[in-house]
Amino acid sequence: MDKKTAVYICRGCEIGESLDIEELCELATGDCEADLCRDHECLCGDAGLELIKGDIREGANALVVAACSPRFKTDEFAFDECVSERVNLREFVVWSHEPNDEDTQMLAADYLRIGIARAKRTEIPEPFDEDIDKTILVVGGGVTGMAAAVEAAGAGYDVVLVEKEPQLGGFAGKCGWRFPLNPPYRELEPVDLSGRIAEVQGNERITVHTGTTIEEIKGQPGQFDVSVKANGSGSEFRVGAIVQATGWKPYDASRLGHLGYGSSPDVITNVEMEELIAAGAITRPSDGKPARRIAFIQCAGSRDENHLPYCSAVCCRVTIKQAMVARKFDSEAEAYVLYKDIRAPGQYEEFYQTAQDDPGIFFTKAEVVGVEKAGDSLQVEAENTLLGERIRIEADLVVLATGLVPAAADGEGIRQLTDAKAIIEKGEAGAQLQAAKVTFEELKHLDGTEILNLDYRQGPDLPVLKYEFPDSHFICFPYETRRTGIYAAGCVRAPNDSLVCMEDGAGAALKAVQSVELASQGTAVHPRWGDMSYPDFFMQRCTQCKRCTEECPFGTLNEDEKGTPLLNTTRCRRCGICLGCCPERIISFKDYSVEIISQMIKSVDIPDEFEEKPRLLGLLCENDAYPALDVAGLKRIQHSAFIRFIPVRCLGSINTVWVADALSRGFDGILLVGCKSGDDYQCHFIRGSELMSTRSDNIREKLKQLALEEERVRLEQLAISDFDKLPQIINEFAEQIDEIGLNPFKGF
Amino acid sequence: MSNSTLLVPDRKFVEQIVAAGGGDLKKCYQCATCSVVCELAPGDRPFPRKEMIWAQWGLKDRLVADPDVWLCHQCNDCSLRCPRGARPGDVLAAIRQQAVRHFAVPKFLGRWVNSGKLQAPLMALTAALLALALIVRDPIEGALNFGEPHGFYAELFPHWLLIGFFAFFTLLAFLAAVVGIVRLWRSMKQTDGLYGSAVPPVGVVKSLVRAIVSIFVHDRFAKCSSRRSRRITHLTAFYGFMALYIVTIWAVLDLYVLPSFGVASVYPFDLAHPMKVLANVGGLLLVFGCTKAILDRLRDPNDAQTTTAFDWMFVWLLLGVGVTGFVIEILRFAIDPAVESAMVSVAYAIYFVHLVLVFQLLVYLPYSKFAHLLYRTTAMVYAEHTGRTNGARPPARLTERSLPKPETPAALEGSAADN
Repeated sequence: MDKKTAVYICRGCEIGESLDIEELCELATGDCEADLCRDHECLCGDAGLELIKGDIREGANALVVAACSPRFKTDEFAFDECVSERVNLREFVVWSHEPNDEDTQMLAADYLRIGIARAKRTEIPEPFDEDIDKTILVVGGGVTGMAAAVEAAGAGYDVVLVEKEPQLGGFAGKCGWRFPLNPPYRELEPVDLSGRIAEVQGNERITVHTGTTIEEIKGQPGQFDVSVKANGSGSEFRVGAIVQATGWKPYDASRLGHLGYGSSPDVITNVEMEELIAAGAITRPSDGKPARRIAFIQCAGSRDENHLPYCSAVCCRVTIKQAMVARKFDSEAEAYVLYKDIRAPGQYEEFYQTAQDDPGIFFTKAEVVGVEKAGDSLQVEAENTLLGERIRIEADLVVLATGLVPAAADGEGIRQLTDAKAIIEKGEAGAQLQAAKVTFEELKHLDGTEILNLDYRQGPDLPVLKYEFPDSHFICFPYETRRTGIYAAGCVRAPNDSLVCMEDGAGAALKAVQSVELASQGTAVHPRWGDMSYPDFFMQRCTQCKRCTEECPFGTLNEDEKGTPLLNTTRCRRCGICLGCCPERIISFKDYSVEIISQMIKSVDIPDEFEEKPRLLGLLCENDAYPALDVAGLKRIQHSAFIRFIPVRCLGSINTVWVADALSRGFDGILLVGCKSGDDYQCHFIRGSELMSTRSDNIREKLKQLALEEERVRLEQLAISDFDKLPQIINEFAEQIDEIGLNPFKGF
Repeated sequence: MSNSTLLVPDRKFVEQIVAAGGGDLKKCYQCATCSVVCELAPGDRPFPRKEMIWAQWGLKDRLVADPDVWLCHQCNDCSLRCPRGARPGDVLAAIRQQAVRHFAVPKFLGRWVNSGKLQAPLMALTAALLALALIVRDPIEGALNFGEPHGFYAELFPHWLLIGFFAFFTLLAFLAAVVGIVRLWRSMKQTDGLYGSAVPPVGVVKSLVRAIVSIFVHDRFAKCSSRRSRRITHLTAFYGFMALYIVTIWAVLDLYVLPSFGVASVYPFDLAHPMKVLANVGGLLLVFGCTKAILDRLRDPNDAQTTTAFDWMFVWLLLGVGVTGFVIEILRFAIDPAVESAMVSVAYAIYFVHLVLVFQLLVYLPYSKFAHLLYRTTAMVYAEHTGRTNGARPPARLTERSLPKPETPAALEGSAADN
């Protein structure tokens, strides 16, 4: 592409009053070799935009708009067929620095240099353009799966619903009664899914496969090739996106011996209680006599560090329901509920109150100490009760309210197991074999647990996170998983009641729709939707180190036998983590590459050591850190004028060569700012911040080798709301570098 | 499974409390707001929180033997502040009602007296008994000759008959009351896990004196900071009743005891006689107190809803006794029996009704709400006796000025003795 670079400097929003615009213009057309430079008092106004459009008509195609943050006026400054680069003079310069100051002017000049350097090297991305299938595959035919299917079909998309059981309905379909899903949320409701099932089966857009399992899913969003098997015969079809609504499994009650499970047939789980209810009478499994005194033990294995540390959200309401059903079946029945805390969120408080008002349902907070047989019946002993004493209660039947475990498969674990098996089969002696045997022992319970059978290098199922739920981020990115185009909904995502499950089904279905639509437009999905760039591999120089295939958080890359990465474009979220990790620096995007950022770094003017003006480089994550600094500017919080920020797609997309480049160029310190990592991570690409932490250890090693102080490179993680902290961090870092002194390599 | 208590939840008892006006009891979620706002609850094991969960689990044995339910004067501050609308004050009232029934001897009277349906038959029974007395009046009079009747209504019910009749039945009631009191006392001792673990701080007699003094000034009632006027209501009805009781006793003394000591009987008292003045003042106080109690209950929507037959019957009965008393008094002075014989029959009829009401009030005392006189007093004595009242907290509304200053142990002892 033949570039004609045009620079536009806006004088509005105090920029004109705070900077010497003429000097900047001279810089642009002088040293920076832009073809033209114009300034305007209000660039985003009609007159300003017309000015730019006029130049475009004259042939300008690489535009540098030096005005406000690129987070504002985004649509105004987007021009077809043009590279449009923004220079943030407003938030990053004039709103956060002394006006008409020498250092502020130098800062603005450097940002202009950086922007022009980028515009000159950026190419217009060409979207990935292949046939995209827009069919949605729904895995699981329970309440969630049926909702997802109906919603997706309602939005005009073909749906294939795969259910392993012979009938639709899932767990709810096996229950006789449920807690209310309709206002006023006070009374029991009978479960009747026949209408919903008919709706699914009667919908001409929905193809239902019951009694069917998935053999394999190959490909990528928009092009998933699915093989399924039913009654020994297989079939194949193509879909565009997948909603996994595989539901839940009850927590393994055999581990609840301390609550009497296994010691008597009359100690049962809430799931077994559902079976009694479905059978129409609550009887003791031991002798078949009616159970009239029923003790419910809440949080059986839940909210317990030794079992399930989390709350399963529904057990309290399920118990209340079961107690009410028991009373409905037999007015002589009594239910004793021993709880840690009753959790009946929202309107379900009313349902709880209905049960409370029943003289035959007794509640007390309690910690159950044990369940023992006493003659013909059982005795539950509990302490720390509301009665203020240690109590025993006689019961005919003890129901353990066990929690929900996601019916997900640990994709990464299965992958490790497969690898370990391969090593063991090879049988070569050595430390690797020992390690493989240990891994095999640890993970052998995962054998045969596959659900989706994905043909992904990183494993055949979704990666699971905390507590084995496959959600990528509970709050920021609901329904999303770490596999683009595959969305989790219902109890596999989080323990939920039917109402939330249906909402989940709709949400995940819409995510799936978004995914196929964006794929068909050739753009990335959230959070970089609209981004048409994708990684390009310069394969001649690939050393098959597999770092990119391992580190991609989204399993984008498969491998051939040699370990050469194979790109699946629509799986990619364009975070650039592969670019950051590649030691050969062969991965580039059209508008984001090792070369482009290096040139941007090198474009900064570094004053010589006698001027005593240190220069700091800030690599700022676009997702949260950049907006945080924008807000700091908006609030007029000042920060050091010695630092120059370059936005990066993710901390994980930082290639350490940039750090080396910057130090050799004469930068005195480098500040890397991104999102939080760890269990409660906020990284928009899940592992970027974490990977950067590991890489920064290597950087520190390098600094040592160069006899440079470790403190010259600092990694900071913050939340988008930490706008007030960021200027502090910058200023502290500037002071620290001032104390350490200037980079000894300056001027070399 | 040692040191734990086997709970036997009693759904039937829960249902009874619900039926007796504690309909919201199951709403309680044990936040203890009630115990915090209550000015009377002792610091140690305060009520009514613990009673609420006992009641939810139907632990009858504990509840009927719980002195704390009687330490409550039902200002219902707890009910107003209860975030869940469980109305602990009304639940305690319902528990007291159950306790009265529980200690009733014979048991069926506890049930009958509090049954709205059985009120009319019971009154008819009383009327029949009085009618029987009238039938046997002349034969006995003929046989024993008690002398000239003294006064207007003595023509109908001569005093020997009246006193004999009522003395007999109130003696029965008295015996039932004594048995009830003894049973309550024993139950309290039995279920009080702390009883006997230390020497009770106050002797029974001293406790009784303190309790009676406390009742005469209504000092505990005074601590109920919300709806203070209830104390005045109760005080007037209480003193009105006491005055009338004293006058009645005096009348008996005047008729049958004082003459033996050479003091001539002046009965019927004329209007200026101190006893007649006391009677009239007492009657006015009683009528005023009962009327105010009824009006207050009707005016407060919460009260109107939760007031049970148990409450209404007692207060209406008391008012009925007062009003009919005044009516017959007025008729006695207004009617000249020589002239208006028809009016005399009317007066006699009202007098008859008055006696029926008096009978209902006094003879059924151990079974009606009036039994609070027995059980509350007993519980208050027990509380004094076991030091339960000593733990009472200072008034809840502490301002900076009224915050208790650090006290020396000696001063603490002094203040404990004051309680």
